[in-house]
Amino acid sequence: MGIAAAEFEAVGEIEIGGSDRLRQLNDDISDAIDRAYHALVQITNGERSIGAGTIWHSEGLILTNAHVIHDETPSITLNDGRKFPAQVLYYNAELDLAALSIEASGLPTIEPGDSKHLKPGQWVMALGHPWGVRNAVSGGIVIGMGAEMPDIPFSSREWVVVSLHMRPGHSGGPLIDTAGRLIGINTMISGPDVGVAIPVHVVKKFLKDSMA
Amino acid sequence: MTVLNELSNAMAAAVENVGASLVRVEGRKRMSATGVVWNSDGVIVTASHVVTRDEELHIGLPNGETVPATLVGRDPTTDVAVLRTAAKNLSVPHWTGGDGLKVGHLVLALGRPGQNVLATLGVVSSIAEEWHTPAGGKIDYYLQTDVTMYPGFSGGPLVGVGGEIYGINSSTLLRGVSVTIPTTTIAPIVDTLLKHGKLRRGYLGVGSQPVRLPAALEQQLGQETGLLLVAVEPNSPAEKGGLMLGDVIVALDGHPVRVPDELLAGLTGDKVGKDAKIKLVRGGQIHEVNITVGERQ
Repeated sequence: MGIAAAEFEAVGEIEIGGSDRLRQLNDDISDAIDRAYHALVQITNGERSIGAGTIWHSEGLILTNAHVIHDETPSITLNDGRKFPAQVLYYNAELDLAALSIEASGLPTIEPGDSKHLKPGQWVMALGHPWGVRNAVSGGIVIGMGAEMPDIPFSSREWVVVSLHMRPGHSGGPLIDTAGRLIGINTMISGPDVGVAIPVHVVKKFLKDSMA
Repeated sequence: MTVLNELSNAMAAAVENVGASLVRVEGRKRMSATGVVWNSDGVIVTASHVVTRDEELHIGLPNGETVPATLVGRDPTTDVAVLRTAAKNLSVPHWTGGDGLKVGHLVLALGRPGQNVLATLGVVSSIAEEWHTPAGGKIDYYLQTDVTMYPGFSGGPLVGVGGEIYGINSSTLLRGVSVTIPTTTIAPIVDTLLKHGKLRRGYLGVGSQPVRLPAALEQQLGQETGLLLVAVEPNSPAEKGGLMLGDVIVALDGHPVRVPDELLAGLTGDKVGKDAKIKLVRGGQIHEVNITVGERQ
């Protein structure tokens, strides 16, 4: 089940009847996305889109997967259209995480959520640029968390596994909860409807260890 | 609280509640699968195809313990197996029929292939009438969803957002779609297996293959094919009832028989020892004979 390629622009007020609560549900979903999507960036090499990234710090610190920038010279395109060359600050192939920096300040960030107490069944959304389609959203639920997830590669590491459409181009983008908080970095797929993200507490540790 | 948050919490709560009734089923070489507590006597329902051996079975309980289990019996035609464990104080979930379930409703598929409960979300894709599996099992109603069957989810429950269980999911009954074996189909199978250890199946003792009927008969009977008898076992119910090589069976107790599966599906356990009315074509004429159905061993 997925919410494919949701547009961020409103398409006008259309009255079609139906349930107020269902309409409210849709509004809640777009509110959560609104709170998060300014922190979603596109990573390119020249004109080629190579993945997504997530603004971590307003002074230009951006997170993505190591596999996104592997051997590339990355540039960052913000959601307001500005484009910056990026320096690779930290790179950890084993964790599949990288931190980039750009010469910018006052960037919109995303509130970190709690990835240690996620529950299977809770609603989550993945933001990214699947197959290069900009700012697309997929919705679904948490399948499970932790290490030892069945059928997941590198199963000794901690993951958030989600039941939603994740595709190439989602990598490095934010996985968010119902309040639009960052709970993970989209990293890979394990089957057509199974996405795998690095939990945000692993990301925090990566940054802390890298800066030490 | 937002409606989205309410929905999210409700789904997580349903997973947590039903999860207390889910066990890991260790009954095959490759990955473990899932079973659901049926009653407080330690009876567990799972999918037959995930229990490839009859002995050395184990159950992983929600509290992390692994305990031995025995196979009560199985019905491969509906992909249902029933296990029993000595473990007490298992949490019995709310099993329910399909009343009120509609196409478009949100549903969760749950599994416990490892230590923890896992969940995927989908919607009910199709609800339709009674159907027969390719192996001839009768399923009360067709229930298809678009939930992702995560590895090890077979034998796990299809759960409504209120935490009610509509049946168990099987990834092998029909290839490529997630179908659910409804609670209403499981219940009588469990009862029979607990009583007899196996399901009775009717038996005629014929070998057959479908053949095209002559045009006139096709029109008269309203079906294109029947079953040509290519073997009749000696002393079988079929022979005793007078069936002969070359007969073409076209109906069993008023239901058309066009392919072998329809004959198999019609020979249900409740017909054993009773007379079945067989309509057949012999020498171009339609005949009807009564045959006392035997029991498949």
